[in-house]
Order: sequence, then structure tokens, then C-alpha cells
Amino acid sequence: MTDHGTPAVELRAATRTYGTGERAVTALDRVDARFEPGTFTAVMGPSGSGKSTLLHCAAGLDRLSNGEVVIDGVPVGGMSERALTRLRRSRVGFVFQAFNLVPALTAAQNVALPLRLARRRPEPGAVAAMLAEVGLAGREGHRPSELSGGQQQRVAIARALVSRPAVLFADEPTGALDAASGAAVLRLLREAVDRHRQTIVMVTHDPLAAATADRVLFLADGRVFDELPGAAGAERIALHIAHAQHTVVAR
Amino acid sequence: MTAAWAMVRHRFASFAGTFVAVFLGVAVVAGSATLHLSSRPQAPARYDQAPVLVTPPDPGTGDDRDRQSWTSAQAAALAARLDALEGVTAAVPDPWFYVQRLDAGRPTGDAQASLLDGHAWSSAALGGYRLTSGRAPTATGEVVIGTTAASDTPSRPSSTKTTSAIKTDSRPSETDRSDKAPQGTGKESRASTNESTSGTGAAGKALITTPNTSGAPTNGSAGSGSTTTGETGSGGPGNSGPASNSTGNGGAGNGASRTRAGTATASAMGTVVVLTSAGPEEWRVTGTVDGPGFYVTDRDAAERASGVQVIGLTVSGDPQRVADAAGAVVGAEGVVRSGAERDALEPGSITRIRWIGAQLLIALVTLGAFATVFVVSSTCALSAAQRRRELGLLRAVGATPGQVQRMMYAETALIALLAGLLGAPAGMAAAPLLADPMISTGLEPAGFTVTWQPVALVGAIVLGLFVALAGVTAAARRASRIPPLEALREAAADPRAMTPARWVVGLLCGAAGGALLAAMPSLPLATRSSAGMGAAMLLLSSAALLSPVLIVPLVRVVVRPWQGTPTGMLVREGTLTGVRRVASTAAPVLATVGLTVLLAGTVATIEVATGIDETARYPAADVLVPDGTPGLSAAAVTAQGAHPELTTRLLITHGDRTAGRSATGRGDALALDRLSAGELGAGVGDTVTIRFVDGAETKLPVAAVGDETSIPRRLVRQHDPDALTGMLVLRKPAVAVPGARSLPIHEFVMEEIDQEGRLIDLFLVALIGLTAGYTAIAVGNTLLMATAARRGEFRALRLAGAGTGQVLRVVTAEALLAVVIGAVLGGLVAVVSLVGVRAAVEDEIGRDIALVLPWGATAAVTTVCAVLAVVASAFPLLKSRGTPA
Repeated sequence: MTDHGTPAVELRAATRTYGTGERAVTALDRVDARFEPGTFTAVMGPSGSGKSTLLHCAAGLDRLSNGEVVIDGVPVGGMSERALTRLRRSRVGFVFQAFNLVPALTAAQNVALPLRLARRRPEPGAVAAMLAEVGLAGREGHRPSELSGGQQQRVAIARALVSRPAVLFADEPTGALDAASGAAVLRLLREAVDRHRQTIVMVTHDPLAAATADRVLFLADGRVFDELPGAAGAERIALHIAHAQHTVVAR
Repeated sequence: MTAAWAMVRHRFASFAGTFVAVFLGVAVVAGSATLHLSSRPQAPARYDQAPVLVTPPDPGTGDDRDRQSWTSAQAAALAARLDALEGVTAAVPDPWFYVQRLDAGRPTGDAQASLLDGHAWSSAALGGYRLTSGRAPTATGEVVIGTTAASDTPSRPSSTKTTSAIKTDSRPSETDRSDKAPQGTGKESRASTNESTSGTGAAGKALITTPNTSGAPTNGSAGSGSTTTGETGSGGPGNSGPASNSTGNGGAGNGASRTRAGTATASAMGTVVVLTSAGPEEWRVTGTVDGPGFYVTDRDAAERASGVQVIGLTVSGDPQRVADAAGAVVGAEGVVRSGAERDALEPGSITRIRWIGAQLLIALVTLGAFATVFVVSSTCALSAAQRRRELGLLRAVGATPGQVQRMMYAETALIALLAGLLGAPAGMAAAPLLADPMISTGLEPAGFTVTWQPVALVGAIVLGLFVALAGVTAAARRASRIPPLEALREAAADPRAMTPARWVVGLLCGAAGGALLAAMPSLPLATRSSAGMGAAMLLLSSAALLSPVLIVPLVRVVVRPWQGTPTGMLVREGTLTGVRRVASTAAPVLATVGLTVLLAGTVATIEVATGIDETARYPAADVLVPDGTPGLSAAAVTAQGAHPELTTRLLITHGDRTAGRSATGRGDALALDRLSAGELGAGVGDTVTIRFVDGAETKLPVAAVGDETSIPRRLVRQHDPDALTGMLVLRKPAVAVPGARSLPIHEFVMEEIDQEGRLIDLFLVALIGLTAGYTAIAVGNTLLMATAARRGEFRALRLAGAGTGQVLRVVTAEALLAVVIGAVLGGLVAVVSLVGVRAAVEDEIGRDIALVLPWGATAAVTTVCAVLAVVASAFPLLKSRGTPA
């Protein structure tokens, strides 16, 4: 599955510190990581391990203190807020744990939002097709408040995929869902990778969710600690986590 | 932008504050502008059939009290030359003089308008007025009296006439005060001429002449409306003519008596008792005319009038051609006016009324716009703060900062447009309802009607749009800087309350306001009040912007006594962590309390100063003052055994310099005041040219230079026959005379001050009412929004064991705390401004005055704010009690 062309996202010696002086916290500590096109990577780690920071920095939502992030071959370091926004809107998709949708807009309007913000007119039927693909045909006119949590996440995935981004970042996409809805969301993500060679980077603490991915990165203390193939299964992944936590405590 | 529309539709509640503020603002502006634009100068209806009017040249002294006249001989000669022009049907001089009908010894009608009510019969043609019965006057002592012409004088309830007579009467004193004050002290009598300057109060005269439908000097009830005043009915048969047998005071009988009177006139011509500058006179009525006024023979009018100031031309053909031809004939002897230029002939008294009305309307518009910006900016800032997460999400999915900013603008523009489209028609619809109250309070001339003003409509909507966009600017800029990560924050902590922009603008406003205040004493008098107002607005804006800095220490101080109680702790922490919210609530309170203290305080301070000023200089004696008349007639003065001390207006020329001066008739030589002497470069022994109000010129040597300008009384009598005496200080008990009453001096002065005070109070009520109304919206809206958004927080409080009562106590205490902070800050700013205003007044009158703080008004306004705040913050809480929020 690996492709040694341009990676969809690459982090080089990525460092992110918050605060200054004695109260400074290093959330990311010289992390190197490559996410190849068409791969599905899960990022795991205990709370405070820096997994969310990694995702935010890789996605251009947050900026590095040091090091570099290259999205689809474009280094984002010196970019203006405006240029970064444009890059995000054309090359990056997001699914957050919750509050993904603008409450005022319908499902279809939410899906079309990135295109409209880019002043691109969605192709006729494209939005409806995207919603159909995530299993929400006929729900175009519903507002977020009229949809279940799982349905909202699926609208969010449809929105993230509508602009055919180079990479989709998902931050605990199943965290707020029941098991069945969570499984449906993971199935959707997997399909996007398998059918459309979509690159996905997903932060999760759920070994079952991580097992859907092609590979799993383990983070602890702001560093990449280990790596497993997703095929290793939820059980081994869970063990690894426990080990990671143990290591952290031991330190 | 469709997103903006969707947002507006979805979250209308959070835009409600903006909507209501803009709606009201636009309504106030549209209404005020409609009233203002409807109130245009208008040539008197008396000249309706004279499309070309000729007036004497402008004396060029820059004082609108100075009007040059032609003598009747000059006017006649000029009229004859104009008459010969092709296209001119007739050229008629219009001399006017003071006449007021006496009804059972009481003068009736509008005092100021009556100064222009006497005319020459030939001038009736200028208004197209025709005899409706009888014949023209042919001898001195004969008169044709007017009936109201329905076309140009809309009827209104007669009950308003008393008020308007009193009000208008008081007005000249307001403007003339500086003029007459120097003459007042220790003199036997004080007089001021009521100069009949120009034009006519055609509209106002309806009041006087309506009862004359009967063609007789009745005290009858043929009033225009169904209302009957005590005045109309009170007369009894006192001075009745033959037709006065109609109902004495019957409201219901009016219509009938009017019709009857109309048909009766021809056969029942009687006499009419009137008051003129000479005194009460009885004239023989020879006919009636279908317009307002009293028409005597041309010769009689020429003798009574102080010169001629208008020659009217009735034309056959193109008025512009006639005007051009007339211009060639008149040359430097006068000014030819046609078309809109005729409107300059509006009588000064009416101009002054409209001017006062305009002051209020301008103040309302300014305050309305200011308050709208204030409310819009505070609600937008709060709603943007509450929407941080949503805006962050937009940023995350690809909205650039510019797009977020534009979306905020688009939302506000939509709301403002919607509010404007509804508000402007509402304001316009309300405007006509205000016409009558404005007339009766002396803010618009009688007969004022509201007309359709599309400019006001469109202008108000556009202004509303701009004002709303100005209000949202800060919030939009701030919103555009929200980072996309904000979308991931569960509960956004209150962001930093002070931004660099807030610091900069706040400090700049403060500095500008302070500078303006400091510069007040050196500003011209006329601009001081607006400068004071501007300084206050700047300082209040500054205080509102910087309030977050001040809130923290203030809260610590105020809450200290309750620190041990749980409520005290919760309030303290809730307030200190929500400084922005507190600032949003406190800002409108700050503005209202500040403006109230400043406006009411300024007025009270000046009133007290004026009171001292006025009462200080009068001895304990009685004065004879006009009663329903514009001045005292000669007879009224001589009846007291005094000589009328007349004042007149002179144009004094020396070399190539001309000055306009009020002069007293006294002594037997010309004296100049020092200022005039200096201005004219004339000293004792120099000969100057004097032009009187009747147009006559004479050369007199300057006999003395002293405190005031005086000229032999005989000359005033001769050249200003229409002059009236302002008031008379009595040496012995007053003899009762029509159109005059006596009272102790200080009472009279207090009356005058009260009358001014009533007008000022009206201004205050209107302005403070408007501000308080805005505060209501702002405070209510802010707290509704804030409390609704904090439901989660309160639920947590309840889960932690707080009863509903305790939560309510915390919420209301927080709201009250915000009100108190706003009131304290607003009060402080206002007191600072007030001290500046006082310095300016002290500088003006050259004496120390006490600072008067309007505690009553301040307490009232603060209480209103507090009640509103409590209701608005408790409401959403109680409403949500049952529902799991």
C-alpha cells in the first residue's frame, strides 16, 4: 500500500511548545512522520501525549514552534493566515469529535460550505451524491439539530471529502458516538481509503477504531514511541497502549 | 451571502438587539427628518397671488433684526414704476401693523402673529382675497375683517391657541435677553420694541379671525373646532356687536352658529374692538374678506405701519420674465424675489419657532444615531463572543479571516436593512401624529403639516445601515481573528476583555473629549452647547471602551461586604471571569446615566445661574407686562401715568460703515454706545446718517458717547409708529388696561424663566427618554443573551446543590452589580463634563456658580435600568427552569 512519491503530509522535527519560561509545556518534541497518499493512519497515545497537537499542526490549524509541516508538497511554515486557510480548504478535510456542523445550515449546505467558501459552485448533484455515499440520501434539507450524532458525523465526513482533499484529519471521530454509529463512521472512512485512495490521519483512543487503520502510531510525551500495522488487531494495540502508559509512568 | 442569511434566520434571537436598536434608530431618524424637512420656510399665504415680490435691499449688517424699509412715498413711487411693466397686473405695497382683536377686553389669538395682522386694503389682492360681503373700507376707522381661508390655514382645536400664544410670547425674551439686559437696571421703565420685521403669520392668524365669521366683534363661539375654551366663552355680552347673540359657549352649536354668522354678515355689519400700538380702538366693519387679517384704507395703513418692506406684484404672464424686468427697474433700490426666493419672507417669529423645533429634531437624530451605534456594537460584540466556536468552525473548514469578517458585516447589513425597511415607514407614520403636539408646545408654527419626504425615508434607511455597520466593525474585526482551533474548545472561556484596539480608541476618545472640554471657554458661545454634548459623547464612549479595566477593581470594592457569603463569592467570581459580559451590560447604563446627569445637570446649573442673574437686578416693585399681546400699547403705558419709553431699531451710517443698533427713545439728542461709536469710527460732534425702520433718513450729530444708544423719543414715535413697549416698571398701583397685567418683578422674571424651563424640560424629557429607551433595549438584550448562554453554568450550580432562589439571587446580583458599575462610571464622566460646562458658563457670566447635580433624574434612570436588568436576567432563567437546557 505504500507509495514512495510525495507524501500527503510530512512532519519534520516538528516541535510545539505552549507557554514560556518555567511553565513551558512541550506538546510535540521533534516528531518526524510521513503519511503516504492512500494510507489510513491512526495516532494513539495517552492523554497529554501530544496526539491532538500533532493532528492540529499537521492540519495547519495550529503552528509549530520549530520544524516543518509539508502538506501535499507545500511547506506551510511561512504561510499567511489567508494562504494557509486556502490551502486547508483545498487540500485538507476535517472531522472533529463533535460540533462539526454549522447549526444554522442544512446538511447539504454544510457539505457545500468548503466549496462555497472557495467560491466554487458545487457540481450539480455532487453534494447529494456525497450525502448518498455516506448513507444520508434524502436528508439534504435537515438541520444538524434534526440529525442523530452518528448522522451528524457522517455529514461531517461528507463535507470533509467533498473537496477531494489530499488528506483527511479525524479527531476522535467516534468519541461521542455509540458503538453501532461509531462502527458505521469507521466503515465510511475505510471505504474512502479503499475506494478513492483517500489519505486519512485519525486520532483515537479506541483500539477498535485504530484497528481499522493501515498503521498505528503511538505517541507518548510528545514523541513517536512505536508503530504497529492496523492488522495487528485491537487486542495487541490495546496492550501497546497499556505499555506506553506504563513507560510514561516509569519515566 | 447565503450563509449570512441562514445565520440571521437561525439565530434571530441573538440579532434581536441589533434589530430593535436599528429599528428604533431608523424610526427616530425617519420621523425627525420628515418633521424637519416638512418644516420649510414658506412665503406667507398672504402673497399667494403675487409670484414676484420686491423687498428693500439688505442693510448688510449681518443681523437679521436689521431690515431696511421704504418710506410709504418711496414704496408708492417704486410701485408705480413696477406697475408700468409689461406683464404686471398690479404692484401693491404691503405696509403692515399690529392689530389684535379684543374679546371682552381680552386680546385674542397668537400674540406674535398679530404683529403682522393689520394691512392696507389694496394688499388683499396679493393673497387673492376677495370680499365675501359688504364693501371695501373708504375712510379712516373703517375695516374689512378676514375670515379664515380654509385653503391655507388648516383648522386645529382652539384649545391650543392659548398655549401657543403664551409660548410664542415668551420666546423673544429668550433671544433678546442679552440685548435688553444692559438697559434693565434701575430704570424707570424698560421697553423693547417689537419690531415687525417681515412677512406675515398668515397661518397663525386663522386663530384670531375665525370668530369673526360673524362679521361682528363677538365673543361668540364660532371657533374653528368643537373645543370651547374658557376664554372664548367667558366674555359675556361685554363688547358685543349685533351678531353676538349666537351661543355664548356651546361646543355643539359651533357649526350651526358659523353658518348662521356667515349669512348674517352682510346685513349685520357692526363694529370691532381691537388693540393697536396706540391702544384699544373701535373700528367700523364695512365688509368681510375670505382671508385672514384686518384691512384698513391704504392711507390709514401707511400711517400706522413703520415703513414698507414688501411690494407684491400680481402678474399676467411668465413670472420669471416679470422678475427679470422688475430687477432692471428696481436696481439697487431693492431685491426682486420670485419662485423659492419668496420663501425668505417667512416672518421672523415663525422662523424662530421652526429653529427651536429643528434643535430638538437635530438632537434626537444625533442621539438616536449615537445610541444605535452604542447598542449595536455592544450586542454584536457579545454575540460574536458567544459564537466563537461556530466562527472557529467556519475558519477550520476554510473561511478566511476576511470571509468571517464579511459574513459578520453581511449579517448586520441584512438585519439593519430589514429593521430599516420596517423602521423608516414606522417613523414616517408616527411623524404626523407629532405635528399637533409640536405645534402646541411651540416647536412648530401653527398650521404646520407633515408632508411626504422620500429623502427622509431613504436617508434614514441608509443611515441605519451605516450606523449598524459602524457598530459591528469592532466585533467583526475581532471575530476574524478567532483561530480555527476555537471550534474544538468545549466551553470558551471569556476571552481577553481588553484588546489593543479598545485601548487605543478608548484613550483617543478620552483625550479628544477632554481636549474639547478644555477648549470650551475659548469656543464661540453658539457652539458651546454642541461642543459640550460632543465632549460628553466622546468621554462616555471612552469610559465604555475602557470599562473592562475599571470593572475589576470596582467589583472587588463593591462586593467586599458580601465576600463571606456563597452568593457574594459566586457573584464576584462570575463577574471577574466575565468582565466582557459585565462591560456589555454596564455600557448602555453608563451612557444613559452619563447623558442624564450631564443634560439635566447642565440645565439645572444654568437655570440656577440665570435665576440669580435675573432676580438680582430688579428692585422690589411691580411691573406692567403684556398679557396675551406682543407688547404694551401706548395707551396702556400712559394710563399708568408714565411715558412709554420706546425702543426702535436704527441703521447708523458713518462714512462707509453701517451698524444696526437698538436705540431707546430718550432725551433730545443722539447718543451712541461705545461699541457702536468704535465700530463706526464716530465721536462726539461727528454727524451720522440715521435710517429709521420706516425708511426715513436723517442726519444727526452725535451728542454723547455712553452706555447705550438713544435718540429723541419724538423721533421714535414719528418713525416707528408701530413700536410697542416691552414692559413698564410701576411706581404706583396699576390701572387695569386691556392686554396688560401687573405683577411683582421677581414673579414676572420667574414666570419667564419657567416658560423657558418648560421648553427645556420638554427637550430633556425627549432626549433622556430616547436614551433611556435605548438602554432598555441594550441592557435587556445583553442580559437575555448572556443568561441564556450561561444556562449550562447555572444548571451546574443547581446540580451542586444551589436552589433556584440562590441561582436567581446570584444572577440578579450580577445584573445589579453591572448596573451599579455603569451608573458610577457614567456619573463620574458626566460630573467631569459638567465641571467643564460650568467653567464655560462661569466664564460667560463672569461669576462663580454652584454645580447642581440632578439626583432625582439620575436616581430615576438608574432605577429603571436596574429593574430592567433584573427582569431581563431572571426571565430566561425562570423560563428554562422546567426544561433541561
